[in-house]
Amino acid sequence: MTWLLETTGLTRRFAGLVAVDGVDLRVAQGGIHAVIGPNGAGKTTLFNLISGLIVPSAGTIRFAGTDVTRLPPDRRAALGMGRTFQNIRVFGAMTVLENVLTGLHARTAPDLLGTGLLGTGLLGTVLRLPRFRAAEREAVARARAALDLVGLGAQAETRAAALSYGDQRRLEIARAMAPEPRLLLLDEPAAGMNPAETAALGALVRRLGGLGTTILLVEHDMGFVMGISDAVTVLNFGRRILDGPPEAVRQSPVVIEAYLGQKVAARLAKSAP
Amino acid sequence: MMAVPPWLDDLLWTYQNLIHSLGINGLLALSMYVVLAVGQLSLGQAAFMGLGAYGSALLTLKLHWPFWVVLPASCVAPAMFALAVGVPTLRLSGVYLAIATIGLGEVLRAVYLNIDLFGGALGLSGIPARAETWMIYGLLAAAVIVLWLIGRSRIGRAMEAMREDETAAQVMGVDIRRYRMGALLASALLAGIAGALGAHVSSFIGPNEYGFQPAVTILSFALLGGIGTPLAPVLGAAVLTLLPEALRGFSDLRLVFNGVIIVLAVLFLPNGVFAWRMRRRAA
Ligand SMILES: Nc1ncnc2c1ncn2[C@@H]1O[C@H](COP(=O)(O)OP(=O)(O)O)[C@@H](O)[C@H]1O
Ligand SMILES: [Mg+2]
Repeated sequence: MTWLLETTGLTRRFAGLVAVDGVDLRVAQGGIHAVIGPNGAGKTTLFNLISGLIVPSAGTIRFAGTDVTRLPPDRRAALGMGRTFQNIRVFGAMTVLENVLTGLHARTAPDLLGTGLLGTGLLGTVLRLPRFRAAEREAVARARAALDLVGLGAQAETRAAALSYGDQRRLEIARAMAPEPRLLLLDEPAAGMNPAETAALGALVRRLGGLGTTILLVEHDMGFVMGISDAVTVLNFGRRILDGPPEAVRQSPVVIEAYLGQKVAARLAKSAP
Repeated sequence: MMAVPPWLDDLLWTYQNLIHSLGINGLLALSMYVVLAVGQLSLGQAAFMGLGAYGSALLTLKLHWPFWVVLPASCVAPAMFALAVGVPTLRLSGVYLAIATIGLGEVLRAVYLNIDLFGGALGLSGIPARAETWMIYGLLAAAVIVLWLIGRSRIGRAMEAMREDETAAQVMGVDIRRYRMGALLASALLAGIAGALGAHVSSFIGPNEYGFQPAVTILSFALLGGIGTPLAPVLGAAVLTLLPEALRGFSDLRLVFNGVIIVLAVLFLPNGVFAWRMRRRAA
């Protein structure tokens, strides 16, 4: 079996702390793969390593048959990797549609046959050559389709900063999905949503999974994950402690103890003054 | 050139210097704009302008090249220095570019002062007035239009994305180093052209015209006007070029005035006076 994404011994240290500790993660092509673990388990750090925003202290990352360990984030995007952020990062001053068009940056890159200048490159842009205009029209059509997919079609011309919190999350998903990436990383997409929004989001993620994009999802909310995932990896203190289908993970005493134990401890810490 | 009615001819003659300054400062404002538009801060615009001015003046005075060759050639030195400063600093955080470009300006000023070829403190004089008003405004208009077309495209979206959130932009596939370098090069070219035009309208250039003070003035063009569209910094430059004329008696206070403008603009009008935003798509 070849994996769409494969990390080997992936490690990241921050001064005195090992946030991700020798993680071997294998994500199969297709379907929805969840990474769960309590707050501080290293899930976001793992995503930052996979998408190239930080460099690993040790280990390798292979994506779509390429060793991407040393590639910058934009090259990984060009290979078909997209992501959203735990803390929303939409371009607030842009319209909703412009946000999604920006998400198509890698997809609308000037092509290789020396026509970079003529298409969406500098010359094609300044001279408004037919190829440039065709690319721009196609990008707008794709962006609108992505907005319709997440239910934001009617807000295309709204300033992104004016959207509600839940809609900004949807916009981020549309922006990351528009180029039809091979792998979409979603970092806690349900964070801060109410139960109704979370349910709608679950349906959306499942729909995205059916479109040929493989989804790697980070959540600390087990309930959200269990209903929609095909495979689950459990992280705790930066280490992978379990891998398997959701039912097996749900029933594993190791996970329940490590994961829920943490959560209960966290809740107790929070309620104490 | 074209026939101009006598009244207009008189007007142009009377205010010739001011008209030239307005156009040249507009080009300088655009040279600031392209760097700010990708979220970087360079204070090297005056240094690039000086390279264009000295380079073009020497080509004219010593080598007697025709002006239509001198003008494009005047971009070579600014572009080379932009690469030399940009390659090591643009991979780092933004503050390094700002510091390195201030340093570049001071180093070049020392070079002009101490090397005979550049005329020392006296500068270079007797430069023929070969830059015509129509050239200045033709180039300014071309620059505004080109930057406008770029702004409304994939490239313009990437630039705005970088300015808003470099991390998010990178994840969308924007090669931020390449865009930063491209912006710095474009900035150097615009400033170099402005310098060459300036040298060939004023007949004299000296080392102090390209130091730290003009660098700050050029920054204030863009801070006052804003960078929402390419026209905004040009209008900012126009305001800051015309106001001192209106307040002639206070010309000593020009630097203070610019400082106050920067502070007020940053505090109260973070998007500039001309803060319209342009659409970022062409379809
Ligand atoms: N840039 C950083 N510098 C120092 N420590 C960090 C940094 N980023 C994350 N950490 C630490 O690494 C650990 C894992 O964090 P994170 O990956 O955000 O966890 P999760 O997303 O699972 O909640 C935490 O203890 C966090 O404080
Ligand atoms: Mg996290």
